[in-house]
Amino acid sequence: MSGDISIANLSKTYKTDEKETVALADFSLEIKKGELITIVGPSGCGKTTILRMIAGLMEPTSGTVTVGGKCCQGPGPDRGMVFQDFALFPWRSVRKNVEFGLEVAGVPKAERRERAERYIKSVGLGGFENAMVHELSGGMKQRVGIARALVTKPDVILMDEPFGALDAQTRNIMQTELLRITDKTDTTVIFVTHSVDEAVYISDRIVVLTKRPAKIKEVIEIPWPHPRDRSSPEFTALRKKILKMLESENIQPDGSTGAVA
Amino acid sequence: MNLELLNYDENDKSHRFIRKMVISAVSLVVFFLIWWNLALLLNNPAVPTPRETWDAMLYLFDKGDMVSGMTMWGHMSISLQRFIAGLLIALAVAVPMGLLLGYSNTINEFSSPTLEILRPIAPIAWAPIFLFTVGYVWGPILVVFVGIFFPMLTNTIFGVKKIEPNWVDASKTLGANKLQVFTKVMLPASVPYVMNGLRIGMGVGWMCIVASELYASFGGGVGYFISIQAQFGYWPNVFVGIVLIAILGLLTTGLSDYAYRTIVKRMGIE
Repeated sequence: MSGDISIANLSKTYKTDEKETVALADFSLEIKKGELITIVGPSGCGKTTILRMIAGLMEPTSGTVTVGGKCCQGPGPDRGMVFQDFALFPWRSVRKNVEFGLEVAGVPKAERRERAERYIKSVGLGGFENAMVHELSGGMKQRVGIARALVTKPDVILMDEPFGALDAQTRNIMQTELLRITDKTDTTVIFVTHSVDEAVYISDRIVVLTKRPAKIKEVIEIPWPHPRDRSSPEFTALRKKILKMLESENIQPDGSTGAVA
Repeated sequence: MNLELLNYDENDKSHRFIRKMVISAVSLVVFFLIWWNLALLLNNPAVPTPRETWDAMLYLFDKGDMVSGMTMWGHMSISLQRFIAGLLIALAVAVPMGLLLGYSNTINEFSSPTLEILRPIAPIAWAPIFLFTVGYVWGPILVVFVGIFFPMLTNTIFGVKKIEPNWVDASKTLGANKLQVFTKVMLPASVPYVMNGLRIGMGVGWMCIVASELYASFGGGVGYFISIQAQFGYWPNVFVGIVLIAILGLLTTGLSDYAYRTIVKRMGIE
């Protein structure tokens, strides 16, 4: 089905002079359209590497990524990306940042403007179209980042610790916002995070990785409806279970929100 | 100075401004007093007093000098035109070249031996060759070009190298091709660095224009004016030339400082 993502035997090996470091071994995952997948794992286990390979910003050593039946070669607007440090263009206004993907695709100006405005509104930034990036708070910046990634109607958005630079309160608000936005647009999301709490709160499925060389340790399905209650017994139980898994990988997860029992 | 007596408030913007103005004014007064006393003390015709210089300046702006038959306005406009021409050529060459050298390691490695040989040469060392080959109009322009070219090139290359890799990645995931990454990300992202190069280049440019005109034996310009007046021993006129160069230099660097700050602020970088 179009929009489904298939990741097959993805591996990455770094070669330095005489040493070979396996960063990721044999990562395979089938993702259905509209699903929200989070990837958690010990620090430095290669979570970002997976995202960058799906995005086409990094060449895998072996394996393939297929989006909607097509094999991906290099980066493209069918796979949007949201960055931890936002990576907005500071010389462009909010509107011009969101329009970027449409601009490079040659969408006519009027249509570009109309579509960008719609997405700016949908991330809750209506009225800030002409603001410059440095005038926005962290949470608002990431809303622009999300709108910019969504405006080209990608099959999937790849989020690399998108809320890692935000304070705890803003982070919780943004999690709810993300669910609202992606639910409405039926966008598939692959989300890398350090925070187990965040993962349990937003995911349809959580992929837990082992330490390097990263392999899939377990895939946990969470069928609970939204909004989820962070203080409910099953929520805390699942969080504890995942934290245990990560601890057994020897390295403490450093997610500040997630680490608190 | 006991500023408390004046109700000075460090947190008040207008107080800080007035303080700065007062100190600057005092500094200038001290400067003129030193000049004046030194002139009287030395009692040498080559060191005129501020008063003699001022009188000479009024006369030169009004009637002009006997040797060149031009007023000071004429000399200033010649120097300024050459300065601007050299600046524009430097911009047109250094910026695209800097972008290219910052972008491609191969091109950078290819050109850097040549550039490293040329860079340490004082721009004015080229003056005799340029004046002989392209004449007294283009000679000084080329010297200015060389002077501004290097700081501009270095800063542009630095700017391209300093671009956030995430900006480039973001633009790629949004579908930008190589050319679009270049024109829509690298080019705008390097503007503050280009402007910084321009700001530094401006200062160098003024030294180049005057020095190369000093060397030319005709063609007008403030530098030529100084050299010719010195030959005839019209010392107050020489001082007029020096003062005007200082003023022109101050104006152009002030202008480029202002442009730099405005652009960097508008672009939201740094």
